[in-house]
Amino acid sequence: MVGQLADYISALATQLVKNKVETHVVTYHDSMTDAVEEASGVKVARVANPVRTHIGVLTWDLTLNQEVERAVANIYYGANKQIDLINVYDWHFIPAAVTLKNALNIPFVYSVESLENQRSPNSNTPYNMSIKSIEWLGFYEAEKVSAKSEWMRDEVVRIYSVPEEKIHIVSPSSDTWIKDVLGLYKTAAGGLKSK
Amino acid sequence: MKNKLSVMMFTWEFPPRVIGGISPHVFFLSKSLAKTGVKVHVVTCDFPGAPAHEVIDGVDVYRVDSYKNPAPDFATWVYLMNLNMQKEAAVIVNKLANKIDVFHAHDWLVATAGIGLKHVFRKPLLVTMHSTEIGRRDGLHTDTEKMIHETEAWLTYEAWKVICCSDYMVSHVRWAFGLPEDKLVMIPNGVNLSVYDGIENDLASFRAKYALPEEKIVLYVGRLVYEKGIHVLINAVSKVLEKINAKFIIVGSGYMKEQLLNIVRSMRLEHKVLFMGFVDDETLLRLQKCADVSVVPSLFEPFGIVALEAMAAKSPVVVSDTGGLSEIIDHDVTGFKAYPNNPESLAWGINKILLDENYKNYVRENAYRKVQEKYDWQKIAQQTKAIYKAVLGEFSKSFWA
Repeated sequence: MVGQLADYISALATQLVKNKVETHVVTYHDSMTDAVEEASGVKVARVANPVRTHIGVLTWDLTLNQEVERAVANIYYGANKQIDLINVYDWHFIPAAVTLKNALNIPFVYSVESLENQRSPNSNTPYNMSIKSIEWLGFYEAEKVSAKSEWMRDEVVRIYSVPEEKIHIVSPSSDTWIKDVLGLYKTAAGGLKSK
Repeated sequence: MKNKLSVMMFTWEFPPRVIGGISPHVFFLSKSLAKTGVKVHVVTCDFPGAPAHEVIDGVDVYRVDSYKNPAPDFATWVYLMNLNMQKEAAVIVNKLANKIDVFHAHDWLVATAGIGLKHVFRKPLLVTMHSTEIGRRDGLHTDTEKMIHETEAWLTYEAWKVICCSDYMVSHVRWAFGLPEDKLVMIPNGVNLSVYDGIENDLASFRAKYALPEEKIVLYVGRLVYEKGIHVLINAVSKVLEKINAKFIIVGSGYMKEQLLNIVRSMRLEHKVLFMGFVDDETLLRLQKCADVSVVPSLFEPFGIVALEAMAAKSPVVVSDTGGLSEIIDHDVTGFKAYPNNPESLAWGINKILLDENYKNYVRENAYRKVQEKYDWQKIAQQTKAIYKAVLGEFSKSFWA
């Protein structure tokens, strides 16, 4: 666990399974790799980075994405090509989501936890700009975007000029939280196929 | 029609984008493969003025956004560029209704695009290792070098077959990444003989721009970097001049340029060593035609295409006895092999060729014949096609098929 995201995804995945959504979580772990099914019914695939030496977070992330693609492809072909939607959290796995969308026609929802602009205010070094360009790519390629608050939605609109109607607010503290998630998924999943 | 073998190649350079040897290699290989009936799609980086899609002699060339935002460093840029290449290649594969049989990556510079696409489309991946980081740097000294090395290792692990252009490179790659022997294939690099046709007009006046009539021309073509051994040649200059009047023409650029210029200045030989920087293709071909001897003094050389080009131009060659050069040149038959990193030995070979007209003509005629027999692109394309077919035969029995 690095931040609060791990707990949130765990709770979300468990709720999704309870709502009869077959749910696979693809995530990183340095040693505990391979696919397992947890007691909750959530299937988790953990991948490590085959490249062990890195010169920064970006190179680590950009190489790890191929392993994410490999894990998702294994799930996809194992499930007879039946994956309706990918939900990607923050910029780290946007590259994999974009490739999988363009290769396998699986639409994705980009859930924004935070933005580079907020994490590193007023920083426009090549490092920050590279992360911002990945965020931009995510917003551009996503079928839908989910934000946890109106404020975050407005930030996405302000910084990246994303059309407001593309962004759904899904607040974890709302009583209708899981219903909102399922509604968003349903809207997004039809996306690419209907085009 | 469905049965036409179809390959998608990934390369970070393709003409008009030319940085090193991969660009001409993929250019000639793809065109020659097309002639053998293989459908080739090349996915490469964009270049100012070059179209995003064009068909060159039956080869579909796609130039993708090579990532133009500032990147923190070269290696990070490579991975960012691969992100775009992968995305755009995925769209192309889908547009082609998935009719790609094989992915073929050239070097670590397109590793992550090749690996990712292999898994999402479940097609076999081949790689040609043109060089290695551990060879280029003579070891792994920094985190960047280690990271590139590990990326190369990962790429060769993911590849169904690893193609190398010389026996030396086969054993080097096998050692560097611990690969099983049956995973490696040797297919030599090729050279295009026809480019030297019709460039002999006005050669005398062209020559006069660079050297006096009584001066012999000693030509070096390559990057001015440590692994190419250019400093060995510079240290041999005065030894050559003790025996014969010559002009040293150095084509290429690199980080060692200032250092080399300082050595030449300190020897007061500026009038004998001409640093040309990069030159256009026609000038290069004419220089190769004019050269009384071409020198390839590399310390690390996976293949040695420059020697082969000189041989095709009928210029006699002196090479260091290392890597792929050792295989291209038969000593005293198709050229002279000097001890690596040894200016005395290099000077001895240069003088031998410049002072002995019979020897010079004997080696250059033999060399030209060898190029015709062994390094013809059409033959190389046939060998490559045979590997594709063998891989597809094995692949058809795998659970991905």
